[in-house]
Amino acid sequence: MSAEPDFDVIVVGAGVAGCITAYQLAGRGLSVALIDRGETPGAKNLSGGVLYTHPLQQVFPDFLQTAPIERRISRNQICFLNQDSSVAIDYRDARLDRDGTAVSVLRGRLDPWLAERCEDAGVLVMPGVRVDSLLIEDGRVVGVVAGEDELRARVTVAADGVNSFLARDAGLRPAPQPHQLAVGVKAVVQLPSDIIEARFGVDALEGAAIAVVGDCTRGVGGGGFIYTNQGSISVGVVLRLDDLTAKGLRSTEVFDGFLDHPYTERLLRGGELLEYGCHLVAEGGQAMVGELVHHGLVIVGDAAGMTINTGLTVRGMDLAAGAAIAAAVGVAEAIETGDVTAAGLAGYPKALAAGFVGQDLQTYARAPKFLENPRMYESYGPLLADALHQVFGLDGSARKPLRRVAMDALKGSGIGVGTIVKDAWQGARAL
Amino acid sequence: MKIVVAYKWAADPQEATVAADGQVDFSRAKSAVSDYDAVAITVARHLGDTHGADVVGLTVGGPEVATGLATKAALSRGLDALMVVADPALTAAGSTGTAQALATALAGVDDIAVLITGDSSVDVGAKLVPAVVGGLLGWPVLTEVTAVAIEPGALVVERAVSGGTEQLRIDGPAVLAVATDAATVKAPGMKDVLAAAKKPVQQLPADPVVADGTLRSTARLSGPARRGIQISTDDPAAAAAELVSALRADGVLIGGQQ
Amino acid sequence: MNLIIVAGTASVANLVTTAAQLDGETLAVVVGSRAVAERIATSGVDKVIWFGEPGDRPLEAFAPAVAQAATAARPQVVLGGRRPAERVLLGAAAAALRAPALIDVKEVTSQAGTVMVTHGVNGGIAVTTREFSGPVALMVDGGGVAPVQGAAPIEETPAATLPMQVTAVQVTAVTEVDLAAAPRVVGAGRGLRAREDLSIIEALAAALEAELACTRPLAEGLDWLPRDRYLGVSGQHIAPRLYVAVGVSGQLQHLAGVRSAETIVAINSDPKAPVLAEADYALVGDLYELVPAITAALEQP
Ligand SMILES: Cc1cc2nc3c(=O)[nH]c(=O)nc-3n(C[C@H](O)[C@H](O)[C@H](O)COP(=O)(O)OP(=O)(O)OC[C@H]3O[C@@H](n4cnc5c(N)ncnc54)[C@H](O)[C@@H]3O)c2cc1C
Ligand SMILES: Cc1cc2nc3c(=O)[nH]c(=O)nc-3n(C[C@H](O)[C@H](O)[C@H](O)COP(=O)(O)OP(=O)(O)OC[C@H]3O[C@@H](n4cnc5c(N)ncnc54)[C@H](O)[C@@H]3O)c2cc1C
Ligand SMILES: Nc1ncnc2c1ncn2[C@@H]1O[C@H](COP(=O)(O)O)[C@@H](O)[C@H]1O
Repeated sequence: MSAEPDFDVIVVGAGVAGCITAYQLAGRGLSVALIDRGETPGAKNLSGGVLYTHPLQQVFPDFLQTAPIERRISRNQICFLNQDSSVAIDYRDARLDRDGTAVSVLRGRLDPWLAERCEDAGVLVMPGVRVDSLLIEDGRVVGVVAGEDELRARVTVAADGVNSFLARDAGLRPAPQPHQLAVGVKAVVQLPSDIIEARFGVDALEGAAIAVVGDCTRGVGGGGFIYTNQGSISVGVVLRLDDLTAKGLRSTEVFDGFLDHPYTERLLRGGELLEYGCHLVAEGGQAMVGELVHHGLVIVGDAAGMTINTGLTVRGMDLAAGAAIAAAVGVAEAIETGDVTAAGLAGYPKALAAGFVGQDLQTYARAPKFLENPRMYESYGPLLADALHQVFGLDGSARKPLRRVAMDALKGSGIGVGTIVKDAWQGARAL
Repeated sequence: MKIVVAYKWAADPQEATVAADGQVDFSRAKSAVSDYDAVAITVARHLGDTHGADVVGLTVGGPEVATGLATKAALSRGLDALMVVADPALTAAGSTGTAQALATALAGVDDIAVLITGDSSVDVGAKLVPAVVGGLLGWPVLTEVTAVAIEPGALVVERAVSGGTEQLRIDGPAVLAVATDAATVKAPGMKDVLAAAKKPVQQLPADPVVADGTLRSTARLSGPARRGIQISTDDPAAAAAELVSALRADGVLIGGQQ
Repeated sequence: MNLIIVAGTASVANLVTTAAQLDGETLAVVVGSRAVAERIATSGVDKVIWFGEPGDRPLEAFAPAVAQAATAARPQVVLGGRRPAERVLLGAAAAALRAPALIDVKEVTSQAGTVMVTHGVNGGIAVTTREFSGPVALMVDGGGVAPVQGAAPIEETPAATLPMQVTAVQVTAVTEVDLAAAPRVVGAGRGLRAREDLSIIEALAAALEAELACTRPLAEGLDWLPRDRYLGVSGQHIAPRLYVAVGVSGQLQHLAGVRSAETIVAINSDPKAPVLAEADYALVGDLYELVPAITAALEQP
């Protein structure tokens, strides 16, 4: 006897996951509402900012030409940062630039662009509305509640980000454990593009992404990143929440330390702070994902814990997009057949498992455990620097063979060879 | 009878950045119905409900003011219909140019009882557009308006003046800029947005408007350079003493050289 | 020929001095009482047009009269103040002349048919300089009453006015303040939790011998203080020797009114409040602890 639905589908959350789900479903001729609490979609969203574009290119063939892309990442660096030394691995490849494999983006620009695409596709976009809860009747999700209003849909999509109160409050998902969460602190610093290009050694429109490990987190599990945008630099740290609490540090403190480190300071010098924010990051990997469908409800993106942290890259946006593509398949099927039960929506988890999202989550399933290893953040950076100092720090003293250099540095570090071998093995398996 | 309300789709300069050469960059700032214009729409809606009149929104500006996002944001605040003049030439229109475009649009509408405006736009903040519109139409203009009622052939208006309030009677249509606290604004709900998507939006062509002179140069604001001295407040009494002695040394306290 | 608009008050010294620096004579159009017109006639202008006693007509009713005078005079520059009626009449003149209208004017010069204007934009975050070949209407801070000099003729012109009438007046607050003249000003913001708590700000102001001012929400919305006590783009502009901002976040619309202060002290519990970056002395902490402590410290010899 329940009332006639207002829409085929209501999507809550106009981030990457929500926008792409809504866009795909509207493209299949369904009536879709896309609700976001931000006055402008993306107003409150935060990402480090490197986006692997292949799923977006699949949805928008002209993505590289028309989306508000900052730079095409053609240079990747991994930097081990110590108190007063740094060791970097530098990888650059013209293929990356040509294919637009990865680009830097600012969510404040990307999300409104995605929402606009949705409008154009016929989605009714509702910004400035905070959804309070799911509308549940007889154990079925039949819509959403915001303030005094109820809106009904055949299927509701929870794309409301890492906290996903919607699914959690409805008892459909457990609250994430502290060790499954990290906190990201990020700032955007304005600099003229010619200075960015000179400092990061890239051409116009090309960009660099630096993953920083070691001293940038004061020993807290996590890492730092520095990404180039067109006329600004995104800089931030991602810190494991349980470790941060255990060490009694505040995330902003750690971040300020990173900004003040001579390595970072040199790259940002003279810049002007444009924005600053904190956001949770899902870190649990596959273990966190859990149930994706319920009667009348599907969960996508960060709301379903779909993030991969390899220690060197945080990936969430591409997985959100991939999940959205799979979800659209499942939801459209369910509506077509008129079966919106969990079984009817099973096309989504099936498509997800078959696609790159499921496979990558599988591949990196061990990463979170590996990244809990403190040696990653405390010991290996100094070890590398000590070894290189023996090679390059010529001071007139007799040189030792490189084999000895490595062994001495190792001894000084207090880590046993066995431990290193074990870490390397676990790293290789996890990443 | 129609009640027209003029609102601006604009971004808060608080979110803009200023380059070293003084160029203001609004690209990171998000546009919205200008803060105080939401008050104007709310006042107009109440008035429309009281008198059974249609409440029509009117905005002019660059192409972005006609996007679905922008028109729905305004309509969901309680307007019945919308008139939009969107043209790239209006992006940088000044107070007079904006007022000209508004007056031209209004000239084509019959039976307007009143034009309600906000107190000031969030980006320009000149509190001038209503005055110029009134001048162009030859209508009376009042600002700081706190209450309006429509009587046959007349408007009864209350406004805040320095040290109190005044009641006035105006014959015929007028431009009324409402005080920022003339009504309490309620955020639109889902049903409001849903209804907004079905309301009519009329796009009007833009006429040429007066230009704001020729730009010769821009510069960053250069006020007095601030010293930026942080006084530690771990001990309030010590902080207070430190501040007071610093201000004494600066000579800005009583008895300091004037 | 340049024109200044006077509406109800003779406190327009800045308009007179600004006009005096321009190319051409100064005509003052006066809406208000005969006394105001007479005072303006002795402020150094060249000619005064007065439209007669307003009676129960609001000053805004004289918009067509001002428009007519402006059209007849064909001025190069029209100057008006920032008070409500002054704005409406300045707008009427701009409309009549189809002249661009600018606010936050910092400098004007005119020469052989060209006017150069430097003015703040977007709440004063930047400054631009523009050149005009036709007439331009400029909003300038009124300032005080100009010193007596000269005696210009007053031409009384019968005025066309709009059909509007003041039917009743309620007086709530009598004291008008001149914040612009105060050497020290304490500004209260929404960091105050309740109206009663204004007393601790008043105590600080008393100890500093400062005037009390506030941000806009305290004057409009909360109604804790009269409207003529708020500072900012749309409120008062001040340039005191000392401005103390207490529980003020420092949005640019507020800062625009206080930037010219010689020394700024900011007290705010949020280390990221923008006002702290605009201060000479920044105190991050609870105003409820710090303000009484500062008041006490001031009372010590
Ligand atoms: C510091 C940091 C760095 C990162 N770096 C990267 C990176 O470099 N590359 C990468 O790919 N990923 C990165 N990530 C991860 C990435 O940001 C997320 O995985 C991605 O944003 C997930 O997208 P989403 O659409 O699922 O959720 P979100 O982007 O979080 O969107 C959720 C949306 O839901 C809305 N919402 C929430 N609740 C409600 C409600 N009740 N009612 C209405 N609307 C609601 C929100 O306003 C928001 O718009 C990073 C994250 C952080 C914090
Ligand atoms: C077109 C336009 C024109 C405007 N014109 C003006 C204008 O002329 N003048 C004006 O003032 N505003 C103006 N505004 C409003 C302006 O944008 C701000 O909203 C306003 O100035 C904020 O006032 P506030 O600082 O008192 O309040 P808030 O922004 O709420 O700040 C309160 C501050 O108090 C601090 N605080 C809280 N508790 C404590 C404590 N216990 N101890 C210490 N600090 C504490 C908080 O950290 C916060 O920074 C205008 C706005 C618009 C859109
Ligand atoms: N572009 C615009 N379109 C419609 N109304 C406007 C526009 N600009 C200003 N207004 C109205 O005029 C009021 C005062 O604006 P301003 O003179 O810019 O401070 C605003 O509150 C609006 O009601």
